[in-house]
Amino acid sequence: MARIRRIQIENFRSIQSLDWSPAPGFNCLVGPGDSGKSSILDAIDLCLGARRNASFGDTDFYRLDVTRPIQIMATLGDLPDDLINLDSYGDFLRGFDLANQTLEDEPRFGIETVLTLTLRVESDLEPLWQLYSERAQQQGIERNLAWKDRARISPARIGSYANINLSWSRNSILNRLTEDRPDLGGALAAAARDARLSFGAQAGAQLREPLQIVTQTATNLGVPVGAFAQALLDAHAVSIGDGAIALHNEQGIPLRSLGTGSSRLLIAGLQRQAAQAASIALVDEVEFGLEPHRLIRFMDSLGAKNVPEPLQVFLTTHSPVALRELSGHQLFVVRSLADRHEVRQAGITDDVQSTLRADPEAFLAKRVVVCEGASEVGLMRGLDQHWGTLGHPSFLALGGAYVNVNGGSPDRAYQRGSALLSLGYQVLVIIDADKPVNAEIQNAFLAAGGQSATWGQGRALEDELFASLPDAAVDRLIALAIEVRERDLVASHIRDRSQNTLNLDAIQGFREQGIPYAPPTRAALGLASRIRNNGWFKSVTTYEFIAKTIIGPELSASHQSLQATINWIEGWIHAA
Amino acid sequence: MPPEIALFDFPRGSITAPAGCGKTQLIADTLAQHNGPRPILILTHTNAGVTALRARMARARVAPTSFRIATLDGFTMKLISMFPGRSGHDPAIMLLTNRANDYPAIRAAALALLRARHLDQVLQSTYSRVLVDEYQDCNRVQHAIVTCLAATLPTYVMGDPMQSIFDIAQNRLVDWNAEVLPEFPAIGALGTPWRWRLAGAENLGQWLLHARRLLEAGQPIDLAAVPPEVQCVQIQAATADAQRRAAAMTPLGQGESALIIGDSRNVTGRQRLTSQTPGATTVEAVDLPDLITFAQNFQLAGPMALTHIANFAGSVMTGVGVTPFLTRVETIRNARNRTPPTVAESVAVSFLAEPTYPRVIDLLQILSEQQDCRVYRPEILRCCIAALRIAASRTHTLHEAAIQIRERNRLQGRPLSRRAVGSTLLLKGLEADVAVILEPEEMNARNLYVAMTRGARRLVICSQNQFIGHRR
Repeated sequence: MARIRRIQIENFRSIQSLDWSPAPGFNCLVGPGDSGKSSILDAIDLCLGARRNASFGDTDFYRLDVTRPIQIMATLGDLPDDLINLDSYGDFLRGFDLANQTLEDEPRFGIETVLTLTLRVESDLEPLWQLYSERAQQQGIERNLAWKDRARISPARIGSYANINLSWSRNSILNRLTEDRPDLGGALAAAARDARLSFGAQAGAQLREPLQIVTQTATNLGVPVGAFAQALLDAHAVSIGDGAIALHNEQGIPLRSLGTGSSRLLIAGLQRQAAQAASIALVDEVEFGLEPHRLIRFMDSLGAKNVPEPLQVFLTTHSPVALRELSGHQLFVVRSLADRHEVRQAGITDDVQSTLRADPEAFLAKRVVVCEGASEVGLMRGLDQHWGTLGHPSFLALGGAYVNVNGGSPDRAYQRGSALLSLGYQVLVIIDADKPVNAEIQNAFLAAGGQSATWGQGRALEDELFASLPDAAVDRLIALAIEVRERDLVASHIRDRSQNTLNLDAIQGFREQGIPYAPPTRAALGLASRIRNNGWFKSVTTYEFIAKTIIGPELSASHQSLQATINWIEGWIHAA
Repeated sequence: MPPEIALFDFPRGSITAPAGCGKTQLIADTLAQHNGPRPILILTHTNAGVTALRARMARARVAPTSFRIATLDGFTMKLISMFPGRSGHDPAIMLLTNRANDYPAIRAAALALLRARHLDQVLQSTYSRVLVDEYQDCNRVQHAIVTCLAATLPTYVMGDPMQSIFDIAQNRLVDWNAEVLPEFPAIGALGTPWRWRLAGAENLGQWLLHARRLLEAGQPIDLAAVPPEVQCVQIQAATADAQRRAAAMTPLGQGESALIIGDSRNVTGRQRLTSQTPGATTVEAVDLPDLITFAQNFQLAGPMALTHIANFAGSVMTGVGVTPFLTRVETIRNARNRTPPTVAESVAVSFLAEPTYPRVIDLLQILSEQQDCRVYRPEILRCCIAALRIAASRTHTLHEAAIQIRERNRLQGRPLSRRAVGSTLLLKGLEADVAVILEPEEMNARNLYVAMTRGARRLVICSQNQFIGHRR
């Protein structure tokens, strides 16, 4: 019941303009910091929340320009009958075509009947809530939702002030679970009186002196206080309202002293119970205070995996754990463009879904390096650490992330890159040059602004390393291979790939005599090191080690071919 | 009390409701049992009908949240004005400056809007069912509109084909058997003559149900075989007028009232009879044409102003003597009068000296207070004076003021005098203790049935013939 079909925001905080049709269920907003995610949540809350007033300041206006009014319009569908009422709201009922996400000013057969609510704030800072339709505007008809209807569609904000939901205070979720309201006015007043009685005159003993002075002064001045003034508990000062009735556990400890995670989890569960009425939930920083397993429980309790989704949830997160729980249709990337904001749905293509499962961090980054396999990921990490020793900021600090395409073809890496590009990420693809590339896929990626790096002369990464690193560095590569794999295995790989023209012992013998590696030997070593499913270094950690301790330090002594590619990559990494 | 017929056991349908048999009670009882979340929409034809139904529901303590009442035309106007884009009508028709064309245009637009089913969800969310009262008065377009509603909401129609008397060439009414029953299958018919039973004349009520069956079957009523509550006056051609005047003067008991029903087409004749019948007043058409015509033609400073006032006064009260009055005023103006002017005459003279609306009001009031004057069309006079008052405040022209008063009057129920003269068209829906039918020969079966059912205790029928009601 009640879903936001479209939200339009103008001149609100960091958002100059936004026009977005959210999903009916989960809307997980990601994007770089200050991209306006929380502003979107606040806009929804301010526009739809059941409040009679809200305080605005100049800082709520886009670029502090109060001459351009804040306007928030939320179009609601899936309305309860009361809100589609002809007599109450006939002039404001509109139509929303779910198939192509278009809004029409009047209902139409076969499309959904919706209402548009607006919040407008002008330079006087007075918020004005109203219903909106073009025809009512033209005829000068003004109306707001009835209060009871506002209360029904009011979104539940699950936030840091969640503790009000653990007592029967106003706006508490506890009041929405059932029709029962505590009617304890008399009992509460009696409790206050009892407190006064049991407190008794004990203060009098400790306050004897001031009381004597008061009594004496009053008597001198003829102010009637009787024989002596008393210090008693003021029954009115002990104000006890419904809000004083709070949830406690069996031992009588108030539940508000539960940890953040526990109370959020409990309240989220209660939100679900009350979802028949409140069907929109707002959660800022969903991971706040929650361990991963609780975060997952929390997302589940919000209905992330139910079909159909029971709540329309708007949440922001910086947690890959949260993202991994979602499907691509629930993930939205907020982008700030020159004159407006955009919210783009990640979608459910394989490229998005796989990235979401394997490398959710990418969606939380600004810049992404798409790597063909684990080797490239290790290479990039190692190089980043090496550059760090030279005083450069880490790629991770610059808002970067790696995506591992995990083998396959360069085409898959380009496709993965294109998917990320379309969501507004900056993307560098690193691939081997030894496999054929589909020109169409590659060109689409490059045309969309993607960058790619590869190795010279049709080489794979290992080919390039064995071809370009100086001799001492190649020695260390072979030594590392023997250390991580077994000498016999390395030796047999060399024999196989050189058609028995080379063997490990001989190669090492020549090296002991100081003879440099001959180019054919380098080529054969490259081939021998990357036998499919049996490579010498095929792991993130090994390559990380190689990149940090061998490639990085030896780069300047390496062949131009390797230097060119690595320096180009470094330029991109540090360009941010 | 549970309703006499459990309408809502059926998905849709019609109820035949003879006059005075508890149709409104059935509506009240049905609504009283309704406790769903959405109200029932009740549609009728006239604003007076809306007012009457609402009062009746309030008296029966039906929860106001369980129903909405509107006129069919009011409801259709609301629909198209709320959704002008889908309806696509010319906004000018909503001003009703030309009723004869605008109402049909409004109905056509609403029909198209409903037929396209744009409002299905809205209607289903707003109402639970639809009840249409006085269904025999629906024209064919209105029937089509209700049929569209029935495709969206369970719809029930109530009426009496034998009371369908508004059928004219420009406004063809729905045919009950040929058009209503196929869409709204008969659920049942009311058969208890409550109006007469409560008045202590059940016998008369039962006879009227019997007469209804005869008339419906196209058979005449034999005035030689009537119950004692029916008094027949055998009209002789030579003494017809005097006999009818005598019938109109039929004695009334303490607190009793009478409706005198004349020929629909002979307005002048009815007005003459009223002016000649002490204590009688006319029942006016709701659109008050005589008032509107006067307001339209009257020019305050024009040369004919006094003549218009005098003619108007002469048409609503006795004892004005239009021509002698005008002559006297002229004589006085020329200072050739031998007897001193009456109060009315001097007001007329000062009006001619300085024509103002307050002086028109004065003149009309003084004329009506003269000795041997009797106002027999009080509604027209009252409305005219109210319109003149508005015009005197100079915010509206007299014509605008008259229209405003007419619309206000439409919404108020009409107080009936003790002896009211009208026609079936004017008196339908009204009732009294005694009904006097002056010229049954001029009535077809349905008009006759409507006329006969206006009296709850007695009936006086003036007829030349023994058999009546077989005129087609």
